[in-house]
Amino acid sequence: MAARIFMKRPLELGKTFRKASTNLSAFEIQHKSPLVKKQQKIPVALYGGRHAVTMLPGSGIGPELMAYVRDVFRYAGAPVDFETININPNTDESDDLIHAITSIKRNGVAIKGNIETKSEDTEVQSRNVAIRNELDLFINVLNCKSYPGVKCRQSNIDIVIIRQNTEGEYAMLEHESVHGVVESMKIVTQSNSERVARWAFEYAKRHGRKKVTIVHKANIMKLSDGLFLETSRRIAKEYPEIEHNDMIIDNCCMQLVSNPHQFDVMIMTNLYGSIVSNVICGLIGGAGLLSGRNYGDHYAVFEPGTRNTGTAIAGKNIANPIAMLNASVDMLEHLGHQQHADMIQQAIVKTICEDNIQTPDLGGHHSSSDVVQRVIDHIVHSDRT
Amino acid sequence: MAAKLIKILGNCQRSPSTGSRFYSSQVRKCTMIPGDGIGPEISQAVQKIFATAKVPIEWETVDVTPVRGPDGKFGIPQAAIDSVNRNKIGLKGPLMTPVGKGHRSLNLALRKEFNLYANVRPCRSLEGYKTLYDNVDVVTIRENTEGEYSGIEHEIVDGVVQSIKLITEEASMRVAEFAFEYTRENKRKKVTAVHKANIMRMSDGLFLRCCRDVAAKFPDIKFEEKYLDTVCLNMVQDPSQYDVLVMPNLYGDIMSDMCAGLVGGLGLTPSGNIGINGALFESVHGTAPDIAGQDKANPTALLLSAVMMLKHMGLVEQARIIETACYETIKEAKYLTGDLGGKAKCSEFTNEICAKISAH
Repeated sequence: MAARIFMKRPLELGKTFRKASTNLSAFEIQHKSPLVKKQQKIPVALYGGRHAVTMLPGSGIGPELMAYVRDVFRYAGAPVDFETININPNTDESDDLIHAITSIKRNGVAIKGNIETKSEDTEVQSRNVAIRNELDLFINVLNCKSYPGVKCRQSNIDIVIIRQNTEGEYAMLEHESVHGVVESMKIVTQSNSERVARWAFEYAKRHGRKKVTIVHKANIMKLSDGLFLETSRRIAKEYPEIEHNDMIIDNCCMQLVSNPHQFDVMIMTNLYGSIVSNVICGLIGGAGLLSGRNYGDHYAVFEPGTRNTGTAIAGKNIANPIAMLNASVDMLEHLGHQQHADMIQQAIVKTICEDNIQTPDLGGHHSSSDVVQRVIDHIVHSDRT
Repeated sequence: MAAKLIKILGNCQRSPSTGSRFYSSQVRKCTMIPGDGIGPEISQAVQKIFATAKVPIEWETVDVTPVRGPDGKFGIPQAAIDSVNRNKIGLKGPLMTPVGKGHRSLNLALRKEFNLYANVRPCRSLEGYKTLYDNVDVVTIRENTEGEYSGIEHEIVDGVVQSIKLITEEASMRVAEFAFEYTRENKRKKVTAVHKANIMRMSDGLFLRCCRDVAAKFPDIKFEEKYLDTVCLNMVQDPSQYDVLVMPNLYGDIMSDMCAGLVGGLGLTPSGNIGINGALFESVHGTAPDIAGQDKANPTALLLSAVMMLKHMGLVEQARIIETACYETIKEAKYLTGDLGGKAKCSEFTNEICAKISAH
């Protein structure tokens, strides 16, 4: 955090100082000046036992998958109202983004697809990254469990990936010092590393996990990944009942493709998390199955695990809706509606594993709407029995 | 103006296949860096195989253990540097790098010293060694000097560390040109640029632009650009969709190791580093200190790297003989070392290959 403030251009800092002395509205203070932050708690909306959840369809296959989520929720009777906010990928303006962030702060929970940032301008930050940074969603959890009915190279995988979500390589602090020479900064802070490590070990303890592996590249990036590694090791000492070890990222990738069963919980920084989560998703059967959860201190955002926009398959009714449905199940669990979550979860498992209704990316030949219809059928039947 | 002139002169001198073709009757000197751990025994195995195949190479063995220079910093001994600069071709065994602190990675130092700008790692499924993937035929070409491994790190404030990833146009153009030339020379079809320009817009954006510029000069080769996560996802599901991959340093490191994992691990993968005026071929596995000196090591990686070296030097026929002998030995599976699931010793494996070469 401190680094971001120091690294922003000095002229802008000067401007902000000057602006701070003039009259700024509360909104502007909160959102446009990083130094002067007014922490005003926005009340969380909850009317009549129904939760309001922000829905960000994003682009590509996002909108159609969100429509499926709405359908499934209607049949399941889940007490959730969606507040949809569309973010236009083509514009440089961040008004939509600001509305989305305010909405999530108000509702506390969101479900989102992948938001595309079509702007080639290097000043515009990736919108997904902006959302994560603004809401301080410092943890991304991916619970990778194999589905028995899906054709894949490795079976019986059960790995949890916990990834630092806000800093690291995604700090998006880049500058061109000389023409043809670009520097991009990777920031690692002790406070964030400590938060992630502590969260990870607490998670492992709560869910009865036996082993935590720290993934890093500290032999080359001695200071940055070294800091992450040392901090994690220090926190690990406070949990002696959980076994921990560490592994270098390239060795880790190699081990994942040959023997993934040696891993249980894995902690890592941002970029490595992206790589490892995609590798494991590939091993399990593809990008269409797993969902990712982003947690911060106050907010939670749920999304498909591999954050793909899927522009190539948008509108063709072949996208795999399972990832988004899994994300919605995670969301219901988070909100406390365990019964509904279980009902939808069981319907999904029955559809994929027993009935083998699968979309082309899993090797089947059904369309997305077929899959969703079967899930709905299972939900409706489970109500009756 | 002067800078442009110097650049043009520099371009004239540079060529990817660094003028090492010569008559097969001429004996060529090569630098051999045995390395640590199992390094010495596998280097000897390779030298024995080469002697059996009557390859016209004279080995010059040097040691690269860092010595403290006059300025107090650890560096490669001058004798080693002179040797490689003289011979322009080298074969290196595994070197040890301490984690977290200590001297900077020797591998990195060697790369910087000899300006080895591209790392080529062909990964091909071996017929005798069954893995979950049998149709892998991928070449990863990775930028070798800069990127995330620039080694520039600072602790700005207590508890906040920054590491700088450096991308320059010059290096990116160099490696892109090499990639396309390699694709053309080896009659491959497609080059994929792997990047993360949606997040690191300026740095990977620059790399991507350089690749696109070079692609325009090679219209006969297909070019595509993919995000790193997409490539990871697809590579694990279906590796046959990729042919040649070109990428900056960190992604290249991870992807090349992952591809090596698909074919059976680092013990079977060759690797070559191409520089402006020289090339260094190496085995990329670790030093394996637990089996050092016990005649259990697998020399396949170093052997295949040496074969790559022969191809680079133009000794294609001998390269083919040795390579075929090696593949056949692994296919027969009678003499396999421990890491491939067998019980043979390193010397037995070597002797079997020598026998096959002599029988040829």
